Amino acid sequence: MSENSIPPSDTEDRNDSPDNWVDLYGDALYRFALSRLKNRELAEEIVQETFVAALHAYKNYKGRSTLKTWLTGILKHKIIDHLRRKYRETPSDQVEAIADNTDELFNEKGGWSVRPAKWTVNPEKTYEQREFLDIFYQCLADLPDRLSQAFTLREIDGLDTEELCKEMDISPTNSWTILYRARMKLRRCLEVNWMKDFDEKVK
Amino acid sequence: MMFGLIPNCKDVTRMVSESMDRELPWGQRIKMRMHLGMCKYCSRFKRQLELLRKASQSLSAHPAEPVASSVLPQDVRDHIKKALREASSG
Repeated sequence: MSENSIPPSDTEDRNDSPDNWVDLYGDALYRFALSRLKNRELAEEIVQETFVAALHAYKNYKGRSTLKTWLTGILKHKIIDHLRRKYRETPSDQVEAIADNTDELFNEKGGWSVRPAKWTVNPEKTYEQREFLDIFYQCLADLPDRLSQAFTLREIDGLDTEELCKEMDISPTNSWTILYRARMKLRRCLEVNWMKDFDEKVK
Repeated sequence: MMFGLIPNCKDVTRMVSESMDRELPWGQRIKMRMHLGMCKYCSRFKRQLELLRKASQSLSAHPAEPVASSVLPQDVRDHIKKALREASSG
């Protein structure tokens, strides 16, 4: 991710005092947290925890790395702690308990009750494409954790079934079920939000 | 996954999704293709899943796009500053 929007502060000077941390490094840390956690509130919370922890540990900061690197190191630990806690709270054997949305989309005979709408995405138009990606990103963030984790590992990181199962500690059949649910929900979320956006633009 | 002799649309969506993660058994593959050849909505569904895959790949190429422009909101900024002041005085 890009961090070049923040002025580098390689030198220790009085501007680096804790009073200025939030203004100097807040945005960079926030973007880092956001790119990992994909949730604004959570990213804000973890950035705050990071600054407070850093303040308590400041006397141990030896200036061997830049302050920004040091703060980012603390942030990484906070993020890992958070993810560990989160996945411990969602054991993999409860994967089947994550509801799917097929009941709203299909009738009892398995035919479409909400038919897939025609999507008008023109990949030639970068503006449209970016907007589509923004909605996509938001929909992905709104998925239940295990679904978004599976989808991200499979489609964004490009893991195959074997690697995905190892990473998530699930069976292959489970992985296909999770990915199916993730795709169904994502597709529907995009359809609803993209179309809404599109309709507003036409009006 | 067990499907009936003639798969319905719901079955086919599952097959389409699964075919993106592994090679389906021969029988399922044939049934899926026959259904897709006749069903406009399932074909559309399949193209949309393929679009999801493409979109994921561009997210992977530009992961920071929605993130790069994000700044820490002012109220959060103030809140953190306050917490820092309290922590350093306490």
